[in-house]
Amino acid sequence: MKKAKKTICDGCFTVLVLVSAFFLNLLLDYWFDTITLVPMIFVLGVFLVSLKTQHFFWGIASSFVSVLLVNYAFTYPYFGIDLVSPECIVSALIMLAVAIMTGTLTMQIRKTEQMKAEIEKESMRANLLRAISHDLRTPLTAVYGSCSAIIENYDSLEKADQIKLLYGIQQDAQWLIRMVENLLSVTRIDGEKVLVKKTPTVLEEFIDTVLLKFKKRCPDVSVITDIPDTFVSIPMDAMLMEQVLINILENAVYHAKGMTQLRLTVVLKDNQACFSISDNGCGIDKDILPNLFTGYLDRHSESSDSSRSNMGIGLSVCAAIVRAHGSKITAANQKSGGAVFQFSLETEAEDGSQPI
Amino acid sequence: MDHNRYKVLLIEDESNIRNFVKTILHAKDYQVILADSCQQGILMYNSHLPDLVILDLGLPDRDGLEFIRHIRKTDVTPVLVLSARTTEEDKIKALDLGANDYVTKPFGTGELLARVRAALRSCQISRDAALPDGKFQLLDLTIDYNRRLVTVGGNEVNLTPTEYNILDYLSQNSGKVLTYSAIIKQIWGFDDAGSVKKLQVNMANLRKKLGAKPGAENYIVNELGVGYRMNDTSA
Repeated sequence: MKKAKKTICDGCFTVLVLVSAFFLNLLLDYWFDTITLVPMIFVLGVFLVSLKTQHFFWGIASSFVSVLLVNYAFTYPYFGIDLVSPECIVSALIMLAVAIMTGTLTMQIRKTEQMKAEIEKESMRANLLRAISHDLRTPLTAVYGSCSAIIENYDSLEKADQIKLLYGIQQDAQWLIRMVENLLSVTRIDGEKVLVKKTPTVLEEFIDTVLLKFKKRCPDVSVITDIPDTFVSIPMDAMLMEQVLINILENAVYHAKGMTQLRLTVVLKDNQACFSISDNGCGIDKDILPNLFTGYLDRHSESSDSSRSNMGIGLSVCAAIVRAHGSKITAANQKSGGAVFQFSLETEAEDGSQPI
Repeated sequence: MDHNRYKVLLIEDESNIRNFVKTILHAKDYQVILADSCQQGILMYNSHLPDLVILDLGLPDRDGLEFIRHIRKTDVTPVLVLSARTTEEDKIKALDLGANDYVTKPFGTGELLARVRAALRSCQISRDAALPDGKFQLLDLTIDYNRRLVTVGGNEVNLTPTEYNILDYLSQNSGKVLTYSAIIKQIWGFDDAGSVKKLQVNMANLRKKLGAKPGAENYIVNELGVGYRMNDTSA
């Protein structure tokens, strides 16, 4: 389908270029009464066609057509075809050479660009994997060590110490669960190839589910919610979008120091549902704000493993998920203090279906 | 044999998970029977006739769905499915085959025990068919099946016939996840392209009339992309 459209586009472009070259020549001939410019203009036309179209065919076709046009209109006999003169054959060969060479060059450039992007993506993924494996090792070491400590010293350890160790294991395991959840999301999005499956999701049900899940993880934090009263259906991958909101809400809990108020609002604007999550904590450091959603790797390379946080990868995942839904997530500091994260999703077109 | 104890059949091939689930069930005084494959599960099921089955879907010999299909031919014993983070389709498939509920791995002990209790109770309710006085009670919500009357905190709620039918169906199956298509078939009798939307709109109205707030403890739980569940009577 897309390919057919592309072919039609290329064909139209070719015809357009050739027709304009032809008429330009007619005009120039009329004004300056000279035909020395004719071959130049047609060569330029063939060059343009070869450069802009996807397939060799158009360049070669346009070179033949150009030869015919030149032969027909601008050489003796005027407005008549004479294909046997050596002049015509040579010019045809030159045109053909231009078309083929340009085509080959363009192909090569395209291929290199593609390869470059591939390599970049690969190295990104490798870096991410390295960084994550590094991050996973720390809690795993703690879990392993604590378990060994308990098993080996079961009788000699005080009960309180045992509980403390076990509590640490539980905490680390929970952190690992969150991390793995994020990783799973990453594998589902994976660069440009999106495996997002959008289904119409009722906003109210979605928010309800997110809040219940969040409540389970952070029972002490209450979220002030403000969503539209009407029936809103949004096509989205609910599982992934859930992760976006949970990640941002949790970030606020863990990183916004001094926060007393966490707010989740959804506002309808035209056919967009604008989500915003704001807190009144310490805000985001100005230095990391520009690279907040991509800075995981940069920050990671310079810091030691002492600062273990889910923040970097969590936000990168958020950005990727929102991007996969055709939107963009932004972060900013509010004037009144605290951070605000925003993104918007397209709502489902109203089809006028009435409840029966 | 102690008749006060519920018999739970646990079919799971991961020995670590089997161990910890067994431990927490034992701690709550359930009698636990173990199986590590679908084949053995069916065998154990037939010889012990458990009150509840906890089933992992990824078994070494056969798909766990086979087990549900097998026992649903004859029995209504509640089945609680343990699933890895899978897609909604798998959950829907299991539920439509007759599973009562699912718990997604990784799960906490509290969550699992609550689901176990709910599944056992829901089967009791359906066994008793009608409740003694033909009424359903959940927190402030009362449904009088005989008079088709719904009240919240003593105040009568005006529902359309469709809304009442949905609420009726959900409450008769409280504690159990009902998929969109199961509800639609029950209420409208047929399933077409716009049905889910129709159901969602009705549910939105129902929620509003029952005074539900997002994120609060509501009567009806949304299982996104799967269906709805009426909270259990004594949750």
